[in-house]
Amino acid sequence: MTKQIVNMTVNGRKIQELVEPRTLLVHFLREQLNLTGTHIGCETSHCGACTVDIDGQSVKSCTHLTVQCEGSDVRTVEGLATAGVLHAIQDGFYKEHGLQCGFCTPGMLMRAYRFLQEHPNPNEAEVRAGMSGNLCRCTGYQNIVKAVLHAARALNQAKTAPGVAA
Amino acid sequence: MEFKLVKQYKVAASVDAAWQLLTNVPEVAGCMPGAQISEQLDATHYKGNVRVKVGPAVAAFAGDIEVLALDPATRTLRMLGKGADKGGSSASMDLTAIVAAADDGGSTLNGQANVIINGKFAQFGGRMMVSVSDVLLGQFAATFSDKARALEDARPSAGSAPASTGHAEPASTTVTPSDAPPLPAPAPRAAAAAPAARELNLLSLVWAILRGWIMGLFGRKA
Amino acid sequence: MSALIDDRQKELMGMGVARLRKEDARFIQGKGNYVDDMKLPGMVHMDIVRASVAHARIKRINKEAALKVPGVIAVLTADDLKPLKLHWMPTLAGDVQAVLADEKVHFQMQEVAVVIAEDRYSAADGVEAVEVEYDELPAVVNPFDALKADAPVLREDLAGKTEGAHGKRYHPNHIFTWEAGDKAAADAAFASAAVTVKQEMFYPRVHPCPLETCGCVASFDPVRGELTTWMTSQAPHVVRTVVSMLSGIPESKVRIISPDIGGGFGNKVPIYPGYVCAIVASIVLGRPVKWVEDRIENLSSTGFARDYHMTGELAATADGKILALRTQVYADHGAFDACADPTKFPAGMFHICSGSYDIGAAHCRVDGVYTNKAPGGVAYRCSFRVTEAVYLIERMVDVLAQKLNMDKAEIRAKNFIRREQFPYKSAFGFEYDSGDYHTALKKVLDAVDYKALRAEQAAKRADPKCPTLMGIGVVTFTEVVGAGPSKICDILGVGMFDSCEIRVHPTGSAIARMGTITQGQGHETTYAQIIATEIGIPSEVIQVEEGDTSTAPYGLGTYGSRSIPVAGAAIAMASRKIHAKAKKIAAHLLEVSEADLDWEIDRFKLRGRDDKFKTMKDIAWAAYHAPPEGMEPGLEAVYYYDPPNFTFPFGAYLCVVDIDKGTGETHVRRFYALDDCGTRINPMIIEGQIHGGLTEGYAVAMGQLLSFDAQGNIQGNTLMDYFLPTSAETPKWETDFTVTPSPHHPIGAKGVAESPHVGSIPTFTSAVVDAFAHLGVTHMNMPHTAFRVWKQLKQLGIAG
Repeated sequence: MTKQIVNMTVNGRKIQELVEPRTLLVHFLREQLNLTGTHIGCETSHCGACTVDIDGQSVKSCTHLTVQCEGSDVRTVEGLATAGVLHAIQDGFYKEHGLQCGFCTPGMLMRAYRFLQEHPNPNEAEVRAGMSGNLCRCTGYQNIVKAVLHAARALNQAKTAPGVAA
Repeated sequence: MEFKLVKQYKVAASVDAAWQLLTNVPEVAGCMPGAQISEQLDATHYKGNVRVKVGPAVAAFAGDIEVLALDPATRTLRMLGKGADKGGSSASMDLTAIVAAADDGGSTLNGQANVIINGKFAQFGGRMMVSVSDVLLGQFAATFSDKARALEDARPSAGSAPASTGHAEPASTTVTPSDAPPLPAPAPRAAAAAPAARELNLLSLVWAILRGWIMGLFGRKA
Repeated sequence: MSALIDDRQKELMGMGVARLRKEDARFIQGKGNYVDDMKLPGMVHMDIVRASVAHARIKRINKEAALKVPGVIAVLTADDLKPLKLHWMPTLAGDVQAVLADEKVHFQMQEVAVVIAEDRYSAADGVEAVEVEYDELPAVVNPFDALKADAPVLREDLAGKTEGAHGKRYHPNHIFTWEAGDKAAADAAFASAAVTVKQEMFYPRVHPCPLETCGCVASFDPVRGELTTWMTSQAPHVVRTVVSMLSGIPESKVRIISPDIGGGFGNKVPIYPGYVCAIVASIVLGRPVKWVEDRIENLSSTGFARDYHMTGELAATADGKILALRTQVYADHGAFDACADPTKFPAGMFHICSGSYDIGAAHCRVDGVYTNKAPGGVAYRCSFRVTEAVYLIERMVDVLAQKLNMDKAEIRAKNFIRREQFPYKSAFGFEYDSGDYHTALKKVLDAVDYKALRAEQAAKRADPKCPTLMGIGVVTFTEVVGAGPSKICDILGVGMFDSCEIRVHPTGSAIARMGTITQGQGHETTYAQIIATEIGIPSEVIQVEEGDTSTAPYGLGTYGSRSIPVAGAAIAMASRKIHAKAKKIAAHLLEVSEADLDWEIDRFKLRGRDDKFKTMKDIAWAAYHAPPEGMEPGLEAVYYYDPPNFTFPFGAYLCVVDIDKGTGETHVRRFYALDDCGTRINPMIIEGQIHGGLTEGYAVAMGQLLSFDAQGNIQGNTLMDYFLPTSAETPKWETDFTVTPSPHHPIGAKGVAESPHVGSIPTFTSAVVDAFAHLGVTHMNMPHTAFRVWKQLKQLGIAG
């Protein structure tokens, strides 16, 4: 299959790469860009372990072609922290024990990140609904919900205290 | 996965023309979209194949057909078909087909089949089996009817024209969803039967099923 | 002085502290190291051609087209493995399993050929191009059909072998018969009992489905003659031993590394054909070979769980005192017996099925059978068939309660083993170490106001307009975990001890390695907490490493909740060796006798003198700098712990459900889980484990099923159909605990991670059945999907 050039921004960095048109974004990120934080848990787009953020939306990268990202702004879990400072959502998962094996965690973090951008003040039911595209086998979700609510509180506090990393 | 099909279709030709067609195994096989007989081994054994396309993926079933009985007195054909594709699916069918005269001068094709499907289609397509079979057999019957009609017209003493073609969907060739007509159209009364599709396009089949279901919601028969 | 003690306890973050996890940093930044993250120079990819049918002879495999696909390097079949005698391999259960199908396929999705290519896409193209022709044979998909006189013979390779690994085989499709207890005593009790009940129940085939599928990267170095394989394995040392035996490479030149693992739940214990083929391919090609399966492959071919057809019977007095238990099980093991049980126990610990009850006589018999399905059976947070055993006894107690019109909690309390009876020898020969079932049950009933719930249920039953059926499920389970004493527990002959090695550095931090391997259980944190309390070094500076067979001491791995009971004990014992040596050094440094020293958190103190002490940090330096005359320098210890017994965690669970009379949908209103795992090392981690286990239990009871049609086609092997609950429908869990330490365990801990799965599944069933109990329903088989519950409603004339 003839490769073609694709241009996009990944975690703030402009890149230009050669890919086969059939290459899935998740494989491109993991194998060509060596960003292995995004994981593969199924092939039917159910589990959400592959969730990334593209142009302001949560996207399951296992059912997205790399060539579809031409000109897009792609953010993965590796791009959440800023200059070594964890994002509030990462800190929330740590403080509330929202992870065990860690395999679903990057997808959860990327989805929670976008969810909180869209719903800065969710209640528990809204968090459960908003995160229902991401499966976890270890935690039973209870602490993940707490982690997202923890991050929501932290982000809202940061808004009233400028200068704190969000 | 095992299931039974019992179907009855109207044929736009006399019972004699229908029976004449039924005894011609290669022609009958040719009524199934995507199917054809490739070789006749002896009086009752044939080799054939069916090409099925789902989007870009093609499966080619190579199979054997054995005619178990052909009884002119009851106008009954009994046959056993078995096929497998090299990629991972297999199917077998035990079919009894009977043609009988209908009141309007035409005839009916009665079919009863025990079907067993194994492999990928059985794993993932189980739910769709009955509806897919319905549409497939509908296409088969339409082509059969046209061919029987053509046989009748070609005879020196052709019988009276049948009342209607008795089905709604035309025999399909490769049809993409955007090409599909919005409403059911009467089948063309071709002098020569439309040749059956070289290839069975499953996506268009699925589209046909979906359309039928949606229209069913609005009370219209597909 | 107490303020200083508090500060020191806080700095230590030892046992009992709900400290945050040390391993989280890499996972929350996407820097975990899972098998599929590995990339080695020259690495190639392997994909598998799998059987499309369940039972057939292979007529022909045509590789030609596949070999022409760009990027494809090689295509291997059984014929290529025959010269190496690797086309069949031994299983952990004393059977053999085809690595690549040899002339015959035995289950749909069985491995038939492997394609090796430069990248994963070419490998997939290659798999599509391999042509296989089959001669189909009739399939059997349940053990009853398999044992019929005229059943098709599945294992032609065992023709004529009437003795299996576990005794006599009575039929070509029969694997083993295993019995425990006293049949004569049980039969006698049944013959004279006032009341007997009998119930058939099916524990369906399900699959653990961890989020990360199985896989490996095999790398053979032809220059050094060394094989290194990164593998999703819950038992890397066992794998190393088996790989050495199969390949002939000395064990010292085989290195198995289990890196970060994305969930195991028993699915990652067996040695799969994919691993063997990748290793062979790497040896043949001299390049690293990566194989990672996809989700469909995982659900269809790797270690499944359960598939136990059980019949239970209880004999009792007229007022509900249980006298005897009998059970017969037909175990569907699939095409090969690849169960990872301890060798002497082909039905695992099923004989824990007398449960939390004082039952005088009992007998169980399990018949293992071959069918045309994927091999296995022991997996999914089950402690070796303890899920099945607990399900059986808890259902039977409910059935008996309903027969006698007794309250389900009351009948349990009446039959409990009493606290003063421990250690308790069961009718099956287990010696339960400790327990206090009455306290646990009472705590739960009080917490939920059980009387009020029953009153509410009665009122709702009396109200024809009530739109729901209310059910209350009560389960009081005892598990047996921590396999196990090596005289009765071994895997392929290796005793089921476990190990720990600790090395304290001159500047006071430490590194510790164990023979277990975490898959999310938090070992890096909890193990460090044990060591911190034992030797007074902050857990923050204790580095815990597992999974690399070249550095970790030999252990049997992590499954069956054995890590804390066995490795945790080894950790305590190794720590105590260091503690003892440190005391000698402290005495030397302080110029006093050891008898005058007391241990306080992180230091040895001269009794009565707060100003005369040596911290472990001081002692560590001294060990390297100026050890006492005649003493070996350094500060380290190794301990291999052979447990004297299993441990017996227990719990009391209660579930309230409301079932919609029109749709059959079950709403879990409340789930209260009380667990007793003895000493609690990290309450936060325990709670997380309970949440996870309850959720997996919810999935099994309410929706999971791997079913087969009559031809052996597997249905529901993708996440389109296989029920994994999301955050939206997962109930909110309430957790509670009691603490009844294990008297034989060095720190009194019992293990806990499987209890919520073992205990919750019968609790959900108990609740659903209880909703119908007043209408005469005594049992309903899982899964309790809305459709299945609706069918019950329809049958009773409740739903239209």
